[in-house]
Amino acid sequence: MPVTVDPTLQTAALAALEATLNRALTLAPRAGAELAPFDGQVFALHCRAPQIDVFLHPRDGHIRLTGIHEGPVTTSIHGSAADFSALANASDPAAALINGNIELEGDSAPLIDLQKVLASLEIDWEAPLVASLGDVAGHQLAQSLRQAFAWSRQAGSSLRRQLAEYIHEEARLSPPGLEVEDFFSEVRELGQRVDRLQSRSQRLRRQLDKLRN
Amino acid sequence: MSDKHTTHFGYREVDTDEKAGLVAGVFDSVAARYDLMNDLMSGGVHRLWKRFTIELSAVRKGHAVLDIAGGTGDLAVQFADLVGPEGRVVLADINESMLRVGRDKLIDTGRLGPIEFVQADAQHLPFPDDSFDCISIAFGLRNVTDKDLALRSMLRVLKPGGRLLVLEFSKPRSPLLSRLYDAYSFNVLPGIGRIVANDGESYRYLAESIRMHPDQDTLREMLEDAGFIQCEYYDLTGGIVALHRGIKP
Repeated sequence: MPVTVDPTLQTAALAALEATLNRALTLAPRAGAELAPFDGQVFALHCRAPQIDVFLHPRDGHIRLTGIHEGPVTTSIHGSAADFSALANASDPAAALINGNIELEGDSAPLIDLQKVLASLEIDWEAPLVASLGDVAGHQLAQSLRQAFAWSRQAGSSLRRQLAEYIHEEARLSPPGLEVEDFFSEVRELGQRVDRLQSRSQRLRRQLDKLRN
Repeated sequence: MSDKHTTHFGYREVDTDEKAGLVAGVFDSVAARYDLMNDLMSGGVHRLWKRFTIELSAVRKGHAVLDIAGGTGDLAVQFADLVGPEGRVVLADINESMLRVGRDKLIDTGRLGPIEFVQADAQHLPFPDDSFDCISIAFGLRNVTDKDLALRSMLRVLKPGGRLLVLEFSKPRSPLLSRLYDAYSFNVLPGIGRIVANDGESYRYLAESIRMHPDQDTLREMLEDAGFIQCEYYDLTGGIVALHRGIKP
């Protein structure tokens, strides 16, 4: 059997999570427009231990969550719960993502874009959670989610910085920005010198023609 | 079955020709309160079983889907969302009362959309060969008189590579759960039926028909015998319900 947990339990958990997420998205006025570019894309989260798969299907301003998806996936992340937890608690999450055991497959850009959109929506988790769980538990969970999304914003900018450093310093896939600017400035300077040399040679040629005539 | 001309209606042995009429009587009686009774009897868990069925269907935009014994349209509505305007969803049911209740419900909730309603017998589906990408039958197969004939009919109208999903009550895996389930089915269920739908007998038939339905492995063999390949099943809620899936080669 491919599914080890009773599918009823997993489906119930996903249905509850999906309902809360979408109730919160309904309260975010820009959610529909911001999520529209992700229509038709599928993002997969594969947790190895415990073995749980979650697929995110953004559509019409909502996100559908499923435990099974047979079809193309835009981006997949693989890891164990401990890996995801280590990533969540790391002081520098981007470094943990690069150096940790989490594997990323497919096109990473849409996933980073989706994470940015969800973080930028500043979703009010409190109202739907309090409605579902009551004042105390709802408030506590909303607080945790706010912190998680604040972390994801920080992680996003840290990830960009770390990736830039990795690409420039470690992998040496591209030169640092300052070097590129210096290079372009030298190219511009060279271009101007060539232009000046060209007009000077033309002037000299004209003078030479005059002397010959 | 020892006699070709008889079949079971719950625990009763009845003439083959008689069963369809008896089942029709049950559903005529319960149609008006069908959704409410499903929620009460299962504590709402039937929605999770159906949600899992949708997940396993792999239905996407543009697909053609046939929901047999679709009743009040729980699955058809979700399939319609997935296939979009370029797709096709047919809700088929042999019972006119169930179809009428389903259609009224979808009209009232504004969800009628692209769903077509067809009164059809699962044993003789009135569609051309290779018509559908997916066929579902939820809590309907055990009421069909000749299940093998129905499975072959479904195979015929599926496109090659298309999948059949059979969601049906089955056999609980744990003996303890089995005993609790029996006590609930034969003592509590008819009571709820009597109070809510004013019909305890129909819900006694429900409990009996579940016990007479093939268990998980037998139904998988029946799918294979009908010609399906890659047949597998998922036990839901400890095996109280099983979801079988087969692919048309």
